[in-house]
Amino acid sequence: MSKYVVSSSPHIGNDRTVATIMLDVLIALMPAVLGSVYFFGFYALFIEILAVGSAVGAEALFNVITKREQTIGDCSAAVTGLLLALNLPVSVPFYVPIIGSAFAIIFVKMLFGGIGKNFANPAIAGRIFLLLAWASAMTSFVKPITWINGDAFVYFRCILRGREGLLDVAALSTATPLASLRTDPAGLGVFDMFFGAIGGSLGETSALLLLIGGVYLIVRRVIDWRVPVTFIGTVALFALIYGAAKGHALDYILPSLFGGGLFLGAFFMATDYSTTPNTKLGLVVFALGCGIITSLIRFFGSYPEGVSFAILLMNIVTPYIDKAFIPRPFGYRPKKGAKA
Amino acid sequence: MHVCVNILDIKRYWEFLLKFTFRRGIHPAGNKNITQALPLTDFPTPSVVSIPLSQHIGAPAVSVVAVGDAVKVGTLIGKAGGFVSANVYSSVSGKVTDIVTTRTAIGARVPHVVIENDGLYEESFLPPLVSPDASAIKARVADAGIVGMGGATFPTHVKLSPKTPVDVLIINAAECEPYITCDYRLCLEKTAEIFKGVEYMMTALGVSEAYIGIEDNKPEAIKALSDLADERIKVVPLVTKYPQGAEKQLIYSITGRVVPEGVLPSDVGAVVDNVHTAFAIYEAVELGKPSFMRAMTVSGKACTRPGNYWVRNGVGYKDVADYCGETQEAKKVISGGPMMGFAQTDLAPSTGKGTSSLLFLTEEEVASGDKPISACINCASCASHCPMRLMPMFIERAVDAEDAALAKKYHALSCLECGCCAYVCPARRPLVTAMRRAKKLIKEKGV
Repeated sequence: MSKYVVSSSPHIGNDRTVATIMLDVLIALMPAVLGSVYFFGFYALFIEILAVGSAVGAEALFNVITKREQTIGDCSAAVTGLLLALNLPVSVPFYVPIIGSAFAIIFVKMLFGGIGKNFANPAIAGRIFLLLAWASAMTSFVKPITWINGDAFVYFRCILRGREGLLDVAALSTATPLASLRTDPAGLGVFDMFFGAIGGSLGETSALLLLIGGVYLIVRRVIDWRVPVTFIGTVALFALIYGAAKGHALDYILPSLFGGGLFLGAFFMATDYSTTPNTKLGLVVFALGCGIITSLIRFFGSYPEGVSFAILLMNIVTPYIDKAFIPRPFGYRPKKGAKA
Repeated sequence: MHVCVNILDIKRYWEFLLKFTFRRGIHPAGNKNITQALPLTDFPTPSVVSIPLSQHIGAPAVSVVAVGDAVKVGTLIGKAGGFVSANVYSSVSGKVTDIVTTRTAIGARVPHVVIENDGLYEESFLPPLVSPDASAIKARVADAGIVGMGGATFPTHVKLSPKTPVDVLIINAAECEPYITCDYRLCLEKTAEIFKGVEYMMTALGVSEAYIGIEDNKPEAIKALSDLADERIKVVPLVTKYPQGAEKQLIYSITGRVVPEGVLPSDVGAVVDNVHTAFAIYEAVELGKPSFMRAMTVSGKACTRPGNYWVRNGVGYKDVADYCGETQEAKKVISGGPMMGFAQTDLAPSTGKGTSSLLFLTEEEVASGDKPISACINCASCASHCPMRLMPMFIERAVDAEDAALAKKYHALSCLECGCCAYVCPARRPLVTAMRRAKKLIKEKGV
């Protein structure tokens, strides 16, 4: 036995591991988590904890039962759970995040072979599963608790109330701004949408907080800037065209960008490694497809929101995008007789 | 995809437009500060040397000595075994005591000539040449057994005889591997000799242009070289980035020429040789000194006397370890640099013409490379850092499925095994190994 370690070159590596990447994503989601508590009270945090706990627990359990190496240390299950929670409205019963996370982890991720092998983003597939299974709970949104009458005491009481209290106090159910996008875009308060004081799922309401997290991920080079820029840009372009056709070219753009789950999808879901292409050009094509499908569903489909469906559809196309855009290596020579 | 520029990469893009560099690649910690200030000193040659007869790429040299023969410094002991091969000379004077077949640093089993060193260092060199012409220089380079001294050890006389006309000579002084500083010291201490060597190479190749490419983290060496540079031999400061010294990347960085897949650099009119090779050619031509000694860096935190040494061929790694004070913390011993070098199982091999460094690394220094392997997460970091623009993760999958055709479709044969992919992989996939397996598989299946 050699006293030295013998292995193939290279003998050094950088500091990044799967766990540090996933921790970066969790850090980037923290503004949105804090925002969800600010807008929807501590019940939001309760949902998030349940979802994360269920996701991590499901993966741990799956690994134990199937006698595989434990993989929860890479933090990817926690990311899936948190993303799923941020996609839920605050009014859901407590068992919805638990079932949703477990479904996402076991059926979408682990049964396909675990991290890196799943064809669809687990959080998205989990959300769509819940949308079909608990259609009304998943689409009934409440107004966020804003600084009610400027009375701090009332505000904090609202924040501390559980689900029932929240539904009582906030009382008014509301639709997401997207529901009225087609009919009355000019009537939507763009500033409220940007800062997050609108109805919607826990993490999607504040474009600002998601943007902070997204920029963090881009700066840390965890995600490629091309995806959010292309995705959001395509949606904006479609809103402009749609608006121009309606005679109010600019009215639709900002509500389209800030009103729904676009920022959450573009920065955090369409950038998932396993389910998106592996080349820069492929990523642009992927994000372009996401933007087009999202816009088509929003403006012409029967659902008000289409980000999840768009990403899921493009996830399915991803292997073909990868096959279509094999990069030409440095010094590429077309084969003799073949067209250049 | 020049249009897709990372907005955060403006600085790098700017560099790419205005400075001499290639695209992609990595920025590992240099760790050159351990030895860069230490001048080259003579390594005390032990009483016995064991000189491998294959210190080059190509056919091994054939032994021309027998046990009991007396040899001097510069006595031919192995004759080149073909055109792509190189002569091997004795590095000490004394008596041949044995010819044994043992393992070299790269794991090949080759005959070694064991010589008992009498400590007198009596010399028997070739006659010096005075203003030689191209063919005389080429003949001398072949006679002197000079090979590429950057570590690739390709016989230099073959490189100096390109089949297609060349118009530019590139001298590789990039030294992009971490830790290694022997070429840097050589540039500082033997500047004039290097330029003379370059002149001889230019004569041999019949070119009127030469560039010395050196990474810009070595300003003192750039200054020393620039003081002697002129219109014919120019010094090019390169962006410090790994693998700046890889042949195809270097040619691109300096001339903008792209070497197509599967052809030699000479097909785009360029020849690349290491700066130490230029120095060796100077010595062979003007002093008649054959190739039996080289500058070598001994470094790493697990040795107490790191430094840059003139080391004769055939010095056992054990002797190097003893002199340089290998400590108990040595976790990994690497012949060559940490990116492309070979980890040693023991200290049995001995130094040769291509041994640019011997590193004694502690656990802490190699921990980043020895993390546990986990599943690929498809992050595509390997692809976005590959200087050859390959897709290592797909090649790994292809070779795992034993699909040689697919591996070839992903251009596995273009891989230069620089290790950037494995360096950046967050899941620590053994991607370089996968590349080597892919090449072997393609060769075996003949696709």
